[in-house]
Amino acid sequence: MRTSQQQPTLDQVDERVIVGRAADGDARAFELIVRRHSGLMRAYARNILGSTDEVDDVVQESFIVAWQQLESLSDPAALKSWLMRIVGRRSIDRVRARHDHDDLSGHDEAAPIDLSPEGAVQAHSLEDAVQSALGRLPTAQRRCWVLKEIAGMRYREIAAELDLPESTVRGLIARARTRMATEMEAWR
Amino acid sequence: MTTIDPMDGAAGIDAPGFDVLSFDVLDTDVLDESALDGHTVDELSDYLDSGRSTVNFSIESSPGCQLALAALERLRTFTRGLLDEEARLEPEPSDDWMRRVMSRIAIEAHAGRDIPIASPEPDAHLVLTEGAVRGLVRAAGDVVDGAIVGRCTISGDVGVPGAPVAVHVDLSVRWGSRMPDVASRVRASIQRELAMHTELVVTAVDVTIQDVRYTPGPVPAMRTGVAS
Repeated sequence: MRTSQQQPTLDQVDERVIVGRAADGDARAFELIVRRHSGLMRAYARNILGSTDEVDDVVQESFIVAWQQLESLSDPAALKSWLMRIVGRRSIDRVRARHDHDDLSGHDEAAPIDLSPEGAVQAHSLEDAVQSALGRLPTAQRRCWVLKEIAGMRYREIAAELDLPESTVRGLIARARTRMATEMEAWR
Repeated sequence: MTTIDPMDGAAGIDAPGFDVLSFDVLDTDVLDESALDGHTVDELSDYLDSGRSTVNFSIESSPGCQLALAALERLRTFTRGLLDEEARLEPEPSDDWMRRVMSRIAIEAHAGRDIPIASPEPDAHLVLTEGAVRGLVRAAGDVVDGAIVGRCTISGDVGVPGAPVAVHVDLSVRWGSRMPDVASRVRASIQRELAMHTELVVTAVDVTIQDVRYTPGPVPAMRTGVAS
């Protein structure tokens, strides 16, 4: 019979140790990793997918891939960015599989955007405030912006992944940048 | 009124609470191209992405460009801060979702290499997986007070009966424990457990203390002996 002492709590343990255990096949350590990082992975996936529908599936699949490949992660301290790469990869695959060119290129996002400072900070709740800056970017702009600024991808890499001309990606990112700069200045 | 700091974790950026936002002096023109001495924002962004590796003197000597470059850098930090903020707002994963993930990983064990075990039946082929042995090692280390085992590596030809093998474990040790004591108890416990349950010829158990963890509350009294 296992006693509580034989099942030490892992909460206070350095993440490198947790990752080591999980890489060796300890499901309990892996569960802790999933609980700690699922929020960030969900937020990241949502920004690339542009919708919430597939977030559950993409993040679930990503963690299963992570479990299978965790042994190959040579630097346990890099877990978070490693997980984000897996989630990013699978999110992009989903977006590509939709074959929705308007969604990718932002052609369906002709609605005028209120670029005034007042428009940028209309939000009143915490959630809206967060949404106001990143979440309120039109989908195609937000996807490209996140892939560039967070994933650190280059224009041509994003263009190749999303099957868009590089000039389109450049344009989407330029518009996102203008918008985000306005949002950021509004906070200062 | 909710006060939030969207810049949490983003050093050097002054982010007032939501309720003290003022729009009297709002500089939304940091990326105005007329102030960039002939350069474009796109160009500056590319320059930043290149890590400014090849120094562009025209950009570096332009005050307008310098302001814009600083704004672009802040923008990156701002974006990351927003993603972190969104992550914090995510609900805890549902029990149902967690169950689905955990049931999927349960059927994909990290078995590793096969480790043969002698059988009294001459035609029976018995093996223990490396993953199972790692599980034994973890359990043997975890029972030592103050110790939690991390990565476990078994080196040597485990597939050949009688071949010498070495075991290496990373360890998290609770602050306040005597480290050499904990390490030697972990080694002894692992040796004993492997001798009891496997036929591995273990020539060494190496321990690396990878983490000293601070647990809230009073420092536990030092204990001796291995819990059993």
